[in-house]
Amino acid sequence: MKVTRREVLKTAAAASAMAAIGGSLTNMAKAADSEPERWVKSVCRFCGTGCGVMVGVKGGKVVTVKGDPNNHNVGFLCLKGALMPPIVYSKDRVTKPYIRKNGKLEPATWDEAMSLVTTKFKAALKDHGPTSIGYYGSGQALTEETYLASKIWKAGLGSNNVEGNPRLCMASAVGGYVTTFGKDEPCGSYDDIDAATCFFIIGSNMSECHPILFKRVAARKQANPNVKVIVVDPRKTNTARIADEHVSFIPGTDLAILNAMAYVIIQEELDNQRFHNKYVTFMTNDKKKVDFDAYMKFLEEYTPEKVEKISGVSADQIRRIALMFAEASGTTSFWCMGLNQRIRGVWANNLVSNLHLLTGQIGKTGASPFSLTGQPNACGGVRDTGGLCHLLPAGRLIKKPEHRAKLEEQWGLKPGTIAPKPGLHTIALWNAFSEAKVKAMFVLCTNPAHSLPNVNIYLDGMKRKDNFMVLSEPFMDAETVKYCDVLLPSAFWCEKRGTYGCSERRYALLMKSVEPMGECKPDFDILMDFAKRMGVDPKVVPYKNVDDVWNEWREVSSVTSYNFMGITRARMEKESGILWPCPTEDHPGTKIRYVRGQDPNIPKDYKSKYHFYGKKDGRAVIWFRPYKGAAEEPDAEYPMVLTTGRVIDHWHTGTMTMKVPELRRSFPKAYVEVNVDDAREKGIRNGDDVLLETRRDKMVFQARVSDVCRPGLVFVPWYDANLMINKLTLNAFDPGSKQPEYKICAIRIKKA
Amino acid sequence: MKTINLPAIIFAALFFCCAAGNVSAVSIKHLKAPDDAADCYTCHQKVTPRVAQNWYESKHGVALVKCFVCHGQPDGKGSIPFAVVPDSVTVCRKCHEPAMIRMEKKFGIDPNCYECHPFHQNSVHHDAYKKSVSKSK
Repeated sequence: MKVTRREVLKTAAAASAMAAIGGSLTNMAKAADSEPERWVKSVCRFCGTGCGVMVGVKGGKVVTVKGDPNNHNVGFLCLKGALMPPIVYSKDRVTKPYIRKNGKLEPATWDEAMSLVTTKFKAALKDHGPTSIGYYGSGQALTEETYLASKIWKAGLGSNNVEGNPRLCMASAVGGYVTTFGKDEPCGSYDDIDAATCFFIIGSNMSECHPILFKRVAARKQANPNVKVIVVDPRKTNTARIADEHVSFIPGTDLAILNAMAYVIIQEELDNQRFHNKYVTFMTNDKKKVDFDAYMKFLEEYTPEKVEKISGVSADQIRRIALMFAEASGTTSFWCMGLNQRIRGVWANNLVSNLHLLTGQIGKTGASPFSLTGQPNACGGVRDTGGLCHLLPAGRLIKKPEHRAKLEEQWGLKPGTIAPKPGLHTIALWNAFSEAKVKAMFVLCTNPAHSLPNVNIYLDGMKRKDNFMVLSEPFMDAETVKYCDVLLPSAFWCEKRGTYGCSERRYALLMKSVEPMGECKPDFDILMDFAKRMGVDPKVVPYKNVDDVWNEWREVSSVTSYNFMGITRARMEKESGILWPCPTEDHPGTKIRYVRGQDPNIPKDYKSKYHFYGKKDGRAVIWFRPYKGAAEEPDAEYPMVLTTGRVIDHWHTGTMTMKVPELRRSFPKAYVEVNVDDAREKGIRNGDDVLLETRRDKMVFQARVSDVCRPGLVFVPWYDANLMINKLTLNAFDPGSKQPEYKICAIRIKKA
Repeated sequence: MKTINLPAIIFAALFFCCAAGNVSAVSIKHLKAPDDAADCYTCHQKVTPRVAQNWYESKHGVALVKCFVCHGQPDGKGSIPFAVVPDSVTVCRKCHEPAMIRMEKKFGIDPNCYECHPFHQNSVHHDAYKKSVSKSK
């Protein structure tokens, strides 16, 4: 018997593999058992990277997932994305409606539950008016769901109390983009990563919070070691592993560092005068238009030597990173909660964009100020479709009469239908609910009893008997379930159809893979039922399915610079995400905004290359934002700083990731990260119990002693429902964006 | 075409089996870890420091593709079967299917990734990783 050399090697390799696997036959059998019958196109349920996934289905059940090779992630998934299936079949799924009776949630029928919800909302409307009802949604709900809820409230019930958890994570980015460029959302795309020669990463632990994007940055660095990576973070995170410069600073002083970088850039004559002369307005903090000389004078307060004293960063390092930023052929900045969750979050956002506008590092592939999003559909579901209390779809504002009028016309409603006064922002809304001024609240796809800052005061409000909360939620162990009056079982992720829009303006369709579990319904069905029972005019909600909502959204956007007309359902079914603006079906989508020839909103024969059409004069703004410290700086009583964030294994409040055995085991409970020097001084060793105390509450965490945090700083991840660090955080918020300052508060620690 | 006799195949297979024998034994003898054992790396830094360091310096280590993503969980209760050498068909495919298809087209073989791609040793070439402990041993 003769065989080829290749067959010999193949057989031998197979034999060695079998031996090496250990129990390999069983594994192979298991693998064969889970071989999917079909793959369904979807998007990952976790962060704002928005990776495409293919859901493997067998026998009507999700058996596995793999990366979508046609989406931006080209098939790659992070560890959370790769391990999603167990979440769908968790024993903690809510599979039927419940009503709270005598303090306990009792099973009910859909009709009983929805009747009670309707009664409570109608009573609140009748007795206290439209400001007494609220909707609190999510950057994880589908675009169609948020658009629908916002329309039911604003056009159907006359209430602008429409908010959602994106207020807690990216309102400052919205404020930053709108004040600088006149329009929300980043101007670049993920493709910038493959062309950038310098990455300026500030206030973001990309490696753990946006792993697939970080992987792309690391791959870029690997392909060309001359590519520079600057990581500005008071923690030396895994992101800093690939950094040429890790800039550790005193928390809260980054605004001064950003101004100092601008100072150095101008002193070294690395600013792009041709660009900023033509395309930039210089504006003081009190909105006075001034000139470049005034900017130079403003920056004199921020020489590297002065800022060294404020920030603890050496003047030399400030000079080095400023030169790296300005001298690179293409610099892309990434930032996230480190800048956004601050009482000066909008200013911090402006200051990063300032550097790009000063150097002209914008409007070309590889050069872009890029804000990362925390949730899979905060951009697509909430920012773009206007799911906040001051917004209307496609960047329109409630306070502007012409914006309301145009939308009323597009929606076919009587003029004056939409109330002229913006509703309550998240913190104000929950304050009002806690005081029972807002009587009835609809919470959908989010877990505020865990995620609100200084959460104790809101938990007290949720326990009151004279207000009412209905919660649409897939998981029984979500903290908010403990406080809701009615619990509705919502279909989860792959059990429904709809759209997610990620950080790079990319919208992709999640196709329905499997039937909802038990009596679960998609939130679209729940909201439609609610609208019908509330007697909302059928003209406001003329939809048979989510695709009808999507098509209306395309029409509504088409007269604005958002323009989704070309993103049809047929295209979305075929393609793995399209970036708006996309005016026609043959348009490929837009990778670079504000540039002639790239952005379809700019005529091809426009006189200048750039056009910042969000501003009347077509010029973006360099803002003079002064350095301001945190709302609660450390003092003698509380001498250290607490910051919170994610670990790669867990996401948000852990209601999903804690269902995955490997992820739960990897980080079973929250901990406190303490610097070695602080630990030595306080006699704390690895694994010791440590008492953390702020002005709001105190709690004991196990210590992880390392050099990740700088001295004086402690870090606690916020996913753990049993150790909710948000009992200790601060609910002070940015006066512009109304986003709370989760990232900094004063704390004292001691060995417990 | 160059051809080889059948006994040679059996010899080659036995050789590979013996060479791999120790690896499979490790998977069988994995200690029972408590539920709050934290991630694998914490222990494996001590018990298999070289393997742990190899992973840490690899692309998977930089991107934090942790042990359990490919190897499963020792108690067998994880999302994928526990194995010292992951099954390429179910595990690698989750992220690397496009590359696997390319390889298959190019070489016409079944995907058996680890034979050519030692994924623990696929390091990122950058200053941060030049201080490679595992590779200097």
